[in-house]
Amino acid sequence: MQAFILAGGFATRLWPLTEKRAKPLLPLAGVPLIEYLVRDIPAGIPITVSTNAMFHDAFTAWKETLNRRDISILIEETRSDDEKLGALGATAQWIDHHDINEDVLLLTGDNYCGFSMKQFLDARTPGETLIAVHDIKDLEKAKAFGTVITPSLAPTSNAPLPITSFEEKPVHPKTSLVSTGCAVLPASVLPIVIEYAAIKPDNVGGIFEELLARGLPVHAFTFSEPWFDVGSFEAYLEATRSLVGERFIEEESAEIEQTSCEGSVVVGKRSSVKRSVLKDTVLFEDCVVENCTLRNCILDKGCVLKGVDLNGKMLREKTRLAL
Amino acid sequence: MSRYRLLLVLWLLTDLAVFLKSYAIAYFLRVGFIFSTDFPFDHFMIAVAVASPVWLAVLLTTRTFALFRKQTEMRNAAYIGYSALVGVAMFTLIYYFLFEQFFSRLLLLTALGISFGAVWLWHIVFSVILRSLLRRTPAVFPTLIIGVTRESTALIERLQKHRSPLTPVAVLDGHGAKEREIGGVPVRGKLNKLDDVLKEGITHVIQCSDLEQSLNLLSACRSRGITYMLLPSVLGIVERDERVESVEGQPVTVVSPQESRWKWFFR
Repeated sequence: MQAFILAGGFATRLWPLTEKRAKPLLPLAGVPLIEYLVRDIPAGIPITVSTNAMFHDAFTAWKETLNRRDISILIEETRSDDEKLGALGATAQWIDHHDINEDVLLLTGDNYCGFSMKQFLDARTPGETLIAVHDIKDLEKAKAFGTVITPSLAPTSNAPLPITSFEEKPVHPKTSLVSTGCAVLPASVLPIVIEYAAIKPDNVGGIFEELLARGLPVHAFTFSEPWFDVGSFEAYLEATRSLVGERFIEEESAEIEQTSCEGSVVVGKRSSVKRSVLKDTVLFEDCVVENCTLRNCILDKGCVLKGVDLNGKMLREKTRLAL
Repeated sequence: MSRYRLLLVLWLLTDLAVFLKSYAIAYFLRVGFIFSTDFPFDHFMIAVAVASPVWLAVLLTTRTFALFRKQTEMRNAAYIGYSALVGVAMFTLIYYFLFEQFFSRLLLLTALGISFGAVWLWHIVFSVILRSLLRRTPAVFPTLIIGVTRESTALIERLQKHRSPLTPVAVLDGHGAKEREIGGVPVRGKLNKLDDVLKEGITHVIQCSDLEQSLNLLSACRSRGITYMLLPSVLGIVERDERVESVEGQPVTVVSPQESRWKWFFR
């Protein structure tokens, strides 16, 4: 088996945090998002991270920080959102150009999956497609995902369920059980992936619809552990709140003085916070905050704020605000 | 930018020339088309020449040469009139100090009227030339519009109709937009393209939507030395009678109830 992580998106909804950074490299509770996935992929499964030329250096630098050696960075030759290959297109190109003929663990790099990858992989039946699915319990939110219909309406165990229908971003979702960007594609379906990607290179979820349409078995692995699609400011803060809880994380050589922290607070490396109030706020590296009240804010690295009150803001790198 | 500086210098020099010529015409109209020996033309023009830089300095303080000043506005005419008045006063004083003589009061009134009229007319003509030359490709002030909204559409139309020195060259929208262009200006995509677009030499950014990103737009503009502007409608101010004032040194945007005109002086 080989793991293929899609990390080539430009994450426009998380601008400006993704202005100079790939979304999978966004720190979530101090750890790059993609690292949660990579840490959990069992040893012996080589990992390919597919990204675009713009983020090549960043991914290469990140790779060097890992103990794991079987990771390779694959570059899509695209520099903007307009010219990207499409997620499925990139997958198909990798399968085709690298003559992949074994099972593929396909992951999206901007998802946080709380379940055990080993448990997921153990649940699969050889030769059959398996998708990790999660009940988000909100039909409205389900419109943004691929939804999965299984015969059992309320799955209770990790035992895979056969999927009867898959709908990518339905207008009227019939279920809140959604695909989580984690799937195993058996070697036997890879030619279909290449064929389908030639028509719909953007539609990763569509491949499951296609497999079902061709009468091939697709199973759902359900889990109740946390799962986040970190696609927006709100989702990022929600994921931070869930992972950090009611506490604060002070990273290496960060300084906090005379400061009140409420909710989930992360203070990045070498950041300094003095005489401030922080609530559900994330500071990346090298930030300076003095005499501020920050609520639901994310500050990219190198921000300097003095004497300002902010609520619900994402600030780009090196923003300076001082009254 | 050097095109703009060159045009500004030219404007100042031509203004001086218009001022000098206005006085010369006033002289000939009042004295007659002769060089009087009782009231020598060269003495007259020496005093005008000495007074002219002072007049120009006063005109400069009224910000009449500001990039966005509409020369046809009555407010602008008032500033030019006020400067013309100061010019006449300066001329009178200088003439007396240099030559210890007084002369026809009607000449002063004629000079005041002609210098005011000629300078205002020249400003209107020159601003048309200036705007046309500033917009010529490559535009001197390429401007990025943020937001595909009713307001941004109206703004682009307005900038183009009035041949504003600010030339809209691109539009970005925080949430993406179906439109490919607004009034011939291309919609380039979402804010993730901001850095790329700013690198193309943008001098001004006008925000017409996405208030949640104003701090980031401001930060991007500051880091590149770009002028940032915000439409009041983004803050919900749509009455069109807003103004920026100062309360104890703190700039504030003011929208006040309709008041009688004379109260304008005391606001």
